[in-house]
This record gives sequence, C-alpha cells and structure tokens, in this order.
Amino acid sequence: MALPLPGRPGLRSAALPLAAALLAGCGGGDDAIRLGVALPLSGRHANVGGFLRDGYRIAVDEANEAGGVVVDGQARPVRLIVYDDKSDASISPSLLERLISVDRVAALLSGYSTPLVQAQVIVPMRRGIPYVNAGGASQTIFREGNQWIFGALSPVESLARTTLEWLAWEQDRNRLAKPLRVALVWQNTDHGREYRAGVHEVVAADPDRFTVVLDESFEHLSSDHTSLIVKVKSVTADVFLSDAHEPDFLLQHRAYVEQGLGHVAVSYGARGPERSVREGLGAAVEHLVSAQWWTRALPYERSRRFVEKYESLRGGMLTEYYPAVAYEAARGLIAAIAAAGSLEPEPIRDALRALDLRDSLLPGGRLHFPAEYRYQIRNRCVIVQNHADGATRIIYPPEAAEAPSVLQPTE
Amino acid sequence: MTELLSVLASGVLVGTVYAYMAYGLGLIYGVLRVVNLAHGAFLTLGVYVTWWLHSSFGVDPLVSLAATVPIGFVLGAGVERTLVFRLRNSPPVTTLLLLFGVWLIVRNALYLVFGGADRSLLTSYSLESVALGPITVSIPRLIVAGFSLAGFLALALLLKRTWSGLALRAAAQDSEAASLSGIPVNRVWSTAFGIGSALAMSAGTLMSLFYSVTPEFGARFLLKSFCVVVLGGLTNIGGILLAGIGLGIAEDLTAFYVHTGYRDVVSFLVLTAALVLRRADADS
Repeated sequence: MALPLPGRPGLRSAALPLAAALLAGCGGGDDAIRLGVALPLSGRHANVGGFLRDGYRIAVDEANEAGGVVVDGQARPVRLIVYDDKSDASISPSLLERLISVDRVAALLSGYSTPLVQAQVIVPMRRGIPYVNAGGASQTIFREGNQWIFGALSPVESLARTTLEWLAWEQDRNRLAKPLRVALVWQNTDHGREYRAGVHEVVAADPDRFTVVLDESFEHLSSDHTSLIVKVKSVTADVFLSDAHEPDFLLQHRAYVEQGLGHVAVSYGARGPERSVREGLGAAVEHLVSAQWWTRALPYERSRRFVEKYESLRGGMLTEYYPAVAYEAARGLIAAIAAAGSLEPEPIRDALRALDLRDSLLPGGRLHFPAEYRYQIRNRCVIVQNHADGATRIIYPPEAAEAPSVLQPTE
Repeated sequence: MTELLSVLASGVLVGTVYAYMAYGLGLIYGVLRVVNLAHGAFLTLGVYVTWWLHSSFGVDPLVSLAATVPIGFVLGAGVERTLVFRLRNSPPVTTLLLLFGVWLIVRNALYLVFGGADRSLLTSYSLESVALGPITVSIPRLIVAGFSLAGFLALALLLKRTWSGLALRAAAQDSEAASLSGIPVNRVWSTAFGIGSALAMSAGTLMSLFYSVTPEFGARFLLKSFCVVVLGGLTNIGGILLAGIGLGIAEDLTAFYVHTGYRDVVSFLVLTAALVLRRADADS
C-alpha cells in the first residue's frame, strides 16, 4: 500500500515503522486507528474465531510494517481491538456497542457464522459504522437499503453455482453425461436454503444439462442420516450434492459409505479439505469435491505470501479458508481508510463502496463490494478435490486447475 | 421392500443408542426421584475421555470403556455425596438447578481445555458395514446395539437377582421403610447415582464411534434421553429399551416416508402425546 507522507523519504521510511511498532507494542496511542471485532474465541465456534483473528492480525501487522495509514495528513498505526463473544449471539451485539461507544473504533470487522453475524449487523446499521464481513455468507445479512455492511465472502449460492459450472464444463469435455441427474440434500438453515437456491437457479437456466431427482432438507445436528441416505440410494442419480456443516457432514458421509453408495461426483458444499474431516473419515474423503471461497493452491503471489506468513506464525499446514478471507476483509478495510484519509464513518463507507483491489488473494483476484448485490462480493468460488495422496488440488476453473478431476465410476 | 427393511434396521439401531443413553437417567430418577440434568455432562465426558485416550494413546473406544465406566461411577457417586445429598430435603427444583449448574461447569471446562472444534475419531471398523440379506448395516451401530442389549440385561440382572438390586428397588419404593429394614439408603443413593453416571459415560464412549465430539454433545442428546425415559416409564428399564427402539423406528419411518426434516419433530410430538395421555390416565 502506497502511503503519501510528508518529509524526506529516507527518514519517513525508517521512522514510520518504528513509530507504528512502538504504538502497537504499547497497545496503541490515542492517535491509533482502531478497528474492532467481536469474535467467537471460546464456545462452539472458537476454532474458527481463532482463524479469523489470525487473518485480521496479519493484515493489521502488514499495514503497520508498511508505516501505518495516513489519516488527516498524519501516518497512524492500526490497532485491532478484539473481544470474545463466546459464540453467543446475545452477547455479540453488546460488544459491538462497547467497541463503538467506549473504544471509539473507526470501523468493525465481523465475527463468525451466519447467526452471529446476523445478530451483529444490527449495531453498525443502527449506529452508522462501516462493518466488513468475513464470517457469514448468507445473503440475509445484506438487507434492502444496506449502506454499512460490506461482505468479503461470496454468497452460499456461489458454492452451488460454481459446482454446477464445473459439472457443465466436464459435460462439455464429454466426461459427464447430459442431462446429469442430481440428488440434492441440504440442511434446513439459511445456509442450506441458499445452497439449494443456487442449484435450482442453474438447473432452471439450463434444464438440458441437469435434472434434480431428489430435493430434500434435513435438520441441522440430526441424530442420524441413514434414512436420508437410503432415500438417496432409492433414486437413480449421477451426482450427490449436499450442503452440511461439519457434524452433519461427518455423520452423513459415514452413512453414505456404510450404505455403499457411489456417484460420479460427490460434494458436501464447502466441506472436505479440512484436517479435522480427514481425521474423522480417513480414506473415505478421497475424491470428495468441494467448493471453496479460497484455497492455498491458488496461483496468486499474494496468496502464496499469505500462506507463508500464516504458517510461520501459527505452524502447521493451513487447510482452511477462514484466515485468508479475514485477512482480505481487513486489508480491504484498511485500504478503504487509507483512501478515505479520514476516520469519519461516511468517507470510509464511500471508500469501501468504491474499493476495487485487483491484487486480491480471493478467487478471481479481485476484492470489491458491488452495489447491485447490496455490497456483498460476487466472486466465483474454486472447486477442489481430495486426492489419494492426501493433497487437495484445484480442478476448476481451468485457468487455475492443478489436476484433472477424478470422476468415480457408478455401480 | 429393501428400503423398508433398511429403514427399519436403521430405526432399531438408532433406537438402541437412544435407549442406552437413557438407562442412567431412568435409574437415577427411579431410585432418587431426581431429574439428573447433569446427565448431559456425563455423556459429554464419556465422549471426550474416549476421544482423548484414542487420539493421545491410540486406545480403541471399546477398550476405553474400562476407563469410562469406573470414572463415571466415581464421579457420579461423588456428585451425589458432595452435592445432591446435601439438598435431599430441598424442593426438587433446587436439585434440578444444582445439576444444571454441574452440567454448565463441565461444559465450560471442556471448552477451556479442548476448545469448541468438532473432533472425531476413526478406528479400523468406523466405516465398516455388513450385508444382512438385502440390507447393509453399519458395524459400529451393531456394536452399540449389542452393548445396549447387554446393558439392559446387566441392569435387569442387577435389579432382580442381586442384594444390591433389591436394596435399590427398596430405596426406590420407600426409602424410609428401606432404611428401617436396615438398608443403608445413603449408600444406595450414591450407588444408584454412580451406576447411572457410569452408564451415561459409557454411552458417550460408544456414541463416539459415529458422532463428532464437542462440548455441546450432551445438549444435543439430553432432550432425546428425556423423551425416551418419559415414554418408557420413568423407572422401567425394559420400557426404556422398547421406547428407544420405538422412537428410533418412528423417526426413521417418518424421515423416509414423510420428510427427513420432520425426523426430530417426531420425538417431541410423541413426548407431548405421552405426557398428555399419562396426565389423562392419572386424572381418570
């Protein structure tokens, strides 16, 4: 990020990082640009909350290492204030109120999970504070008349739409039949309903390619999925698509394997590449196809640098998309503040509306918040497949594909 | 026909899981007349101890029963001795709240120690199944069904054929008369709470074969346990087994023939109907 600063270039390049580091080290001075976030750092979503925090922090650290952000003609360090909402939607909004009223933050970053983000967004909308969302994909977050909420996570529909785009691409290469019979199951939540809507939108637009032979919802945290899988078995389908969160996915795919089902392609929405999933299902996750908001294999320089930075900070191998999207959301917000040159809400909001980062690490390489979609990003997702060697490789879009897809023979 | 058989088999197997997780709740209510809201805590502790033993030392979940059963007994008896016993003469709601507090403490302690991530364990037989005629049945679920039936037989034998069982039944019927007959009622209460908790923890161990583990595990299954216990009769172990199986079949038939989304509605409809009918019986 280029930061126009007064004074001699040599002096300012040495002084600014030092000042930023000093201020960040002592908790930030009064002139620090304060960004606030209430994250689930304990409770049910603690794991993902930690991922988001790390992504946000990397973006803030990068901004400070680059000399801070110029606001009102003065370079200032960025300070991230983090509260733990304990994965509780009743606590989260009050923490945002505190961030605005007591901590005087200039803008907010989101927590995680659609229900928690839905609870949070009421506060920035009422108080007129910019809020960048990296943790909830549902379109219900972005209401009619929205002015303050900006989404760095493409809607759930994109997962479904990109998955069907990939299947159509395989049809065009004569690797899959036309029409393709799809068995679709989805969890009865906003997430699942939007996934279903994405599938139906594509199917309606191109009925010669796809036929939905089963369309059934299931309750989140269901105690058993065997009867649903028997139902899937009872219809003749080529492809099995499911939208499930992790506990349901684990149970459902176990039932799928136990019942000996086979489809040319099997996808559980965004589920599949996570380390925890491999721990629970072992070789049974091989060949699963998933749609991702980001994956480490994306061939972008910024993405590679982010993975290196994240892994040197946290250790281990980054297999989840959460920190990358969080990083990008915070980077976008900081860029908007720099562009606004002000800590007033309206200029930051206007800068977010106009933001168009062309070096994004997200699929498509672009971060922007289109007004026609109520300021929620509409990037295509990326389709990956788990391979037998334990790696997850991009199979679509073709320009990023690392390997051809492995399509399973049906029985 | 194959589909119907598959659904019925699935219902029976799920039902035996429901029954196993409800035995302890029924036993404790039967003897102490206490609704054990800490039951969810013991279920959750069972899955976590099993997961931890498996991920740290590679202990097979079935082997870890050797740890979870005694741990459950000691913890349960300890909770009864140190907490429940002191509120013996208090209104039932006091004990209810106390045990709810125990559950919250355990749940939050697990969040602190293990975090909230979903965890699961994988054994060599986790994804195995066996063909029984035209249908396919999951081996882990068959194992749990076997343990559920064995648990029922062991409890029935304990209650009907042993002195301890006689003491438990006597304390359940009339604790004062039992005490006058020389039965150490205080010890019987601790024993009942210990056995009930050991059953809950062992149920958690067995359920870890197919469910993922989070600190909310108990919350996910506590209501279902209550449904089974109320349906089966609050003190009737055989009734609990039948109620569990009946509920499992009803849920799976509804899920298959009506809609999968109505699966969990069934248990609460049945529970409501059972409570209303029982009340009507009591009034008439």
